[in-house]
Amino acid sequence: MATNVHMSDSLEQSFVQQLKTNQNIIHKICRLYTNGEDAHKDLFQEITIQLWKAYPKFRGDSKFSTWAYRVALNTAITLYRKSTRSVKTVDYESQQYFISNEDYNYEEEERLKLMYKAVYQLNDIEKALVYMYLEDKDYGEISETLGISEVNARVKMNRIKGKLKKILNP
Amino acid sequence: MKELDLLKKDWQKEKNFEQVSEAEIYTMLHQKSSSIVKWILIVSIIEFVVLNGISFLLNDPKYDEFMRLHPYINYLEKFNYIVIVVFIYLFYKNFKSISILNSSKTLIKHILKTRKIVTYYIYWNIIIGGVTGALSFIEGFNEGYNSNSNQLENKGNAVLEANCIIILIVALLIMGIIWLFYKLLYGRFLSKLKHNYTELKKIDL
Repeated sequence: MATNVHMSDSLEQSFVQQLKTNQNIIHKICRLYTNGEDAHKDLFQEITIQLWKAYPKFRGDSKFSTWAYRVALNTAITLYRKSTRSVKTVDYESQQYFISNEDYNYEEEERLKLMYKAVYQLNDIEKALVYMYLEDKDYGEISETLGISEVNARVKMNRIKGKLKKILNP
Repeated sequence: MKELDLLKKDWQKEKNFEQVSEAEIYTMLHQKSSSIVKWILIVSIIEFVVLNGISFLLNDPKYDEFMRLHPYINYLEKFNYIVIVVFIYLFYKNFKSISILNSSKTLIKHILKTRKIVTYYIYWNIIIGGVTGALSFIEGFNEGYNSNSNQLENKGNAVLEANCIIILIVALLIMGIIWLFYKLLYGRFLSKLKHNYTELKKIDL
């Protein structure tokens, strides 16, 4: 019994360590799917719980970050219960922390701001595709994560690019 | 797309997200999940307990006596027990197949399927309740009618019709309330899941 407690303690410890180091991938998903600080924290917590529940099935053969982002995306797309749709007004100005202060370039910053705003208008699935695209995942992985074919993942991504273009230049 | 490349460049820089501390993560681990799967499980168990609780409470001795006289209604009820066991088995099997490690499409499919099993169970209960109720009513009425036929005479048909209409109205009313309840409960509950599932299916069309 004592060893069991000890073992689960060390499991918890290693989980907390890994999550702490890799938390930005989850923050990015929260930022994409929520529209305020409270909702962000709420989704972060739910993702943490889901990751912890699935952690015993995590084998070291893939990177923690690779494993975790899929669980996090699935939580955001399916399990997360609180609807963010009801609040449509998003304070885009408050999203400024997306933009780093280094290499300050006013024109570029404006374009980025518009870009983030456009991505925010996409639906849950489209956001997931954009997220993985921005994270440099290949289409094989994207198709596996979402459960769609690789060819169609590519086609969809191209459509999303078109959609974003249309949002930016109406 | 030039803008998307720009975005990617910015995206991959280290962001100044407010960092969560180890202590905060520890606290989160012991918080309760508010996931939709958990709610579906809770609601399903409540439904199951309530449905079976009602039939248990309604079981009075007169009814048992009635059952003895009309064995086929009894068989129907015995058959219903088998259905309950099958239902629990199917529900458990599907519930267990829900894994966050699956692809999004499979995950949503399994959640919706698990929920559907409960819905089918509700439908089954409404049907079986209706059938048993109707059979009991007809049997009961026939007995009453036969024993009092001399007194009732011509009034009999009118009474039968009036009763049928009342039962029909009550049944429709109950079904309407149940339907509304489910629309309100699951409409909110499952709309996001259904929406995202349709989106995923559309991609592969």
